[in-house]
Amino acid sequence: MTVDAALEIRQITKAFDLGAGRSVTAVKDINFAVERNSICVLLGPSGCGKSTILRMMAGLETPTSGEIVIGGRTVDGPGRDRGMVFQAYTSFDWLSVRRNVEFGMKINGVAPAERHERAEHFINLVGLGKFADAYPSQLSGGMRQRVAIARTLANDPEVLLMDEPFGALDAETRWLMQELMIDVAEKTNTTMVIVTHDLEEAIFLADKIVFLSSHPGRVKEEIVPAFKNGKRIGDKERAVKLDGYAELESKLMHLMREEGRGIE
Amino acid sequence: MPASSSKTPFFQLRKPVSRRQSLISALGIWVVFFGVWVFASSTGMVNELLVPAPQQVFATTFELFFGRGFASDVLISISRVIGAFAMAAAVAVPLGVLMGSFPAIEAIFSPFVSAWRYLPAPSFIPILLMWFGTGEAPKLALLFIGVIFFLITLIMDHTKNVREELVETALTLGAGRGTVVARVIFPAVLPDITVALRQMLAMAWTYLVIAEIVASTTGIGAMMMRARRFLNTDEILSGIIVIGVLGLGFDLLFAALHRWAFPYLRKARS
Repeated sequence: MTVDAALEIRQITKAFDLGAGRSVTAVKDINFAVERNSICVLLGPSGCGKSTILRMMAGLETPTSGEIVIGGRTVDGPGRDRGMVFQAYTSFDWLSVRRNVEFGMKINGVAPAERHERAEHFINLVGLGKFADAYPSQLSGGMRQRVAIARTLANDPEVLLMDEPFGALDAETRWLMQELMIDVAEKTNTTMVIVTHDLEEAIFLADKIVFLSSHPGRVKEEIVPAFKNGKRIGDKERAVKLDGYAELESKLMHLMREEGRGIE
Repeated sequence: MPASSSKTPFFQLRKPVSRRQSLISALGIWVVFFGVWVFASSTGMVNELLVPAPQQVFATTFELFFGRGFASDVLISISRVIGAFAMAAAVAVPLGVLMGSFPAIEAIFSPFVSAWRYLPAPSFIPILLMWFGTGEAPKLALLFIGVIFFLITLIMDHTKNVREELVETALTLGAGRGTVVARVIFPAVLPDITVALRQMLAMAWTYLVIAEIVASTTGIGAMMMRARRFLNTDEILSGIIVIGVLGLGFDLLFAALHRWAFPYLRKARS
């Protein structure tokens, strides 16, 4: 791997202690790299440990062996260089949208003038300009995820980690949010790692898909969606019509099914 | 009797009632209550010495306040409740939040607090009197002991219920432990803390009356014990009513505080 890696996962194994001397291996011997400014999607059936890998990247879990390297440093606990967006809503209900977005900058000592400016910029980027002074409880689910994304980006992380960020949203909103993420990636050059079990989402967003097998999770295959010719497509309707989209989808379906059988 | 198909039944399963109906219902039950009371005491069904008529109780209440300086007793009682309760809250809120945030702190204090919670506070009265004499201190101590251990446990439990994702979000935004507690966990649990304080304040009133009945010459409870000696049942009932009204007043005050302090909890989805 000679690519310019923002994040490297080196020989990661994670076992969870179940008590009474028993343990279960969630993921085993994971190796892959996330290229700088790219969107990397972790895809796989449930139980493949994709969320565990993401949480180890965030520093919220500790690998049993192996290491995760970001910018030459080994990950040791959570930090602002790896911002995370969760599936569950995480807006701070007692703060307005604007103050939510400013939160990370404020605790990290960014000067007020710069803070306000950056907050404004990212609120507009995710399309919440009109709602800057609203409270999260007044917003829909999709809008709350926009707040979480703006809050994380405004904090200027090296990598944006997303754990099934649109899983709780209805189909139409999810589709809009996926297009928003392409737009954000193009405009901000943010490196993203996105966990999903949604094939369409994976194909549409990914510059590279890391497909994981289950029990224990291992990297089964790294797939670069060739039909995109190295360019992102910002319009989902257009993406599904391209040559090669359907083939990739059926290939992933096949992989999913193969893995799914192992569980029963 | 089955309801006719065109008419909606009076008792509708889980359908909210109108504002007007709930007001009439609330007044109705009190009218019935006082009606029975008036009837029973004026017809001689009950001994008027033991159960004086409500109109007499209200007249006595008026007389107590404006003729016999009862207001100063009420003020003393209120200041005891507020003083002891404020001290208990000043300890319980930070301790409960820390115990709910750090399992290591919970491990230290939880076994201690749980044990004290099972000891009835009034059982401390004799020893409190020996330690603190008959001044304000034993009363404040009883109220303090009576509410603090429940308050700590309630606040700890509410703090534990703050969602893990909020904590993890703050950590991945670069927050340290102290920042997470002060700027995420505490504001997230504050509305629930307010509710817990509101519930425990009612308990503080209970202990106040016990303290004043057992060992006091001032306050609402002491007035009621004096009245007992002279068989003034109307004054005893006045005291009960005043305590009830004060409790209700404080409860409404807390409810108003909750609405004012946490406007973001009002669901105004447009």
